[in-house]
Amino acid sequence: MPHFLQDILVILIAAYMAWDNGTGNQITGNWPVTIGLLVGLVMGNVSVGLVIGGTLQLMSLGVAGIGGSSVPEYGVATIVSIYLAIRTGASTGTAIAVGLPVGMLTLQLDVVLKIINNFYAHWAQRLLHEKKFKKIDAVFYLTVVTWMLKYVIPVTLVVLFGTPIVKLILNVIPTWFTNGLQIAGGMLPVVGIGMLLRYMPVKKYLTYLIIGFVAAAYLKVPVLGIALLGGAAAYAVYMKNIQKTNSTVATAEQDIVNDEGDDFDE
Amino acid sequence: MSNNKLTVKERKNMFRRWIFSAGLGYNYESQQAPSVAFSMRKALRKIYSNDDEYIDAMDNHYKYFNVTPQMGNVILGATLAMEEKDGIEAKDAVQSLKTSLMGPLSGVGDSVFWILIPTIMGSIAGYMALQKNAVGAVLWMLMYIAFYWLKMWLFNLGYESGTKLITTLGEKINVFTDAISIMGLMVVGSLVPAVVKVYTPLKFATGKVSLSLQKGIFDKIMPGLLPVCLALLVYWLLGKKSWTPTRIILLIILICLIGAATGILGIAA
Repeated sequence: MPHFLQDILVILIAAYMAWDNGTGNQITGNWPVTIGLLVGLVMGNVSVGLVIGGTLQLMSLGVAGIGGSSVPEYGVATIVSIYLAIRTGASTGTAIAVGLPVGMLTLQLDVVLKIINNFYAHWAQRLLHEKKFKKIDAVFYLTVVTWMLKYVIPVTLVVLFGTPIVKLILNVIPTWFTNGLQIAGGMLPVVGIGMLLRYMPVKKYLTYLIIGFVAAAYLKVPVLGIALLGGAAAYAVYMKNIQKTNSTVATAEQDIVNDEGDDFDE
Repeated sequence: MSNNKLTVKERKNMFRRWIFSAGLGYNYESQQAPSVAFSMRKALRKIYSNDDEYIDAMDNHYKYFNVTPQMGNVILGATLAMEEKDGIEAKDAVQSLKTSLMGPLSGVGDSVFWILIPTIMGSIAGYMALQKNAVGAVLWMLMYIAFYWLKMWLFNLGYESGTKLITTLGEKINVFTDAISIMGLMVVGSLVPAVVKVYTPLKFATGKVSLSLQKGIFDKIMPGLLPVCLALLVYWLLGKKSWTPTRIILLIILICLIGAATGILGIAA
């Protein structure tokens, strides 16, 4: 695929991602691994897309539990990292080290757009009172286009100016530095794992965390096998607990019946 | 108002307008309200042929609204049924239904659609992707495409049973999310040794015998010893107010740069 066509498609992916992630569909959302697959396909190198997408996915696990503005926009970071890695030949770690700051800056854009959307909302309501009902939809479509700019602007800037800048940097920085970034690429998934552990009931179900660890570290069970094992354990616990709630509801109802009976006697 | 009943097709149209727009009109003042108005616009026009009533009803939907998009169907389905039945007299009831259900439904929706599924599918797909395997990512997408029908079902559930279902459903979902977190924890436990790579090329040389620190000592104590230590460190830091995830990312990059410069850390084979 010619480069300019890839460039256009990558920008279109950014626009699509903004739309999909803002709706109730979220078929790819802005999850790094699914977006990474798409960008990898467009850029003609699926394995780079998957490795970078996978790394960022694992880094961002549990992000929703922390939420707020303290975490980068991982979807944009994914697109930018993969695009630059394939165009410049940078390693996973280096590409992510460039992509993440772009993801951080995107967050600022998010604030601006939500303020602009406020203006659209009032505009639409004004049209409603002027009985121009059909035009309400048009204003809403404008909102959608504006919303897409959130991801389109940073990605377009990177597509336009990123490659020569990153190539220049790669030529200047020493090997130990790129090595360090590559090592970081292998370590960073731990951030997502840490965030998840903060969110999940670790103390209550520590047993299962250890079982998962042993199965992978000692027994080398692949991840789908561990997920199945976990599914089995979850099913057992669910059946046990749902019976408990059912029986408490049943006894509670019985108590009420008994109370009523007493009242009747008096 | 019985002559203004919506057809199944018109109801589905309303559902689609919501599910394909949900968070797009998001703003700081009324949050998802523009999307709600967009999705209800056509359906309400059918219900209210009188312009003034229509404007009144639409104004009602331009008020503050925020819910997990996937769960919004239940609420909008329920309010649609109310307006269809009682017309503009249902206005206040519609508003109070919306505000009272947003919280509980978002609680359920956020933990299922933003935490639970991304945790389990993200772990599996991310892990597979590191091995250049796209199966996990494709499965994830297929799953969310299939959710279209789940959301349609939720919408119809809201339309048909209104507020009744929330209490009965809530209890069961709590037990479900609690149990499924076991699956999540097991997968997370497996991720630590599988995807976190910490490797040191350091060697101890005593006389003629040289001992690799990584192979000779760390791996003998426990496979994945260094990744576990790192995970514990990150977990501990995240518990402190002053350490945001971004700061921890920077700290790790800094450690790796120093490690690479001094030769303490190396690229794992």
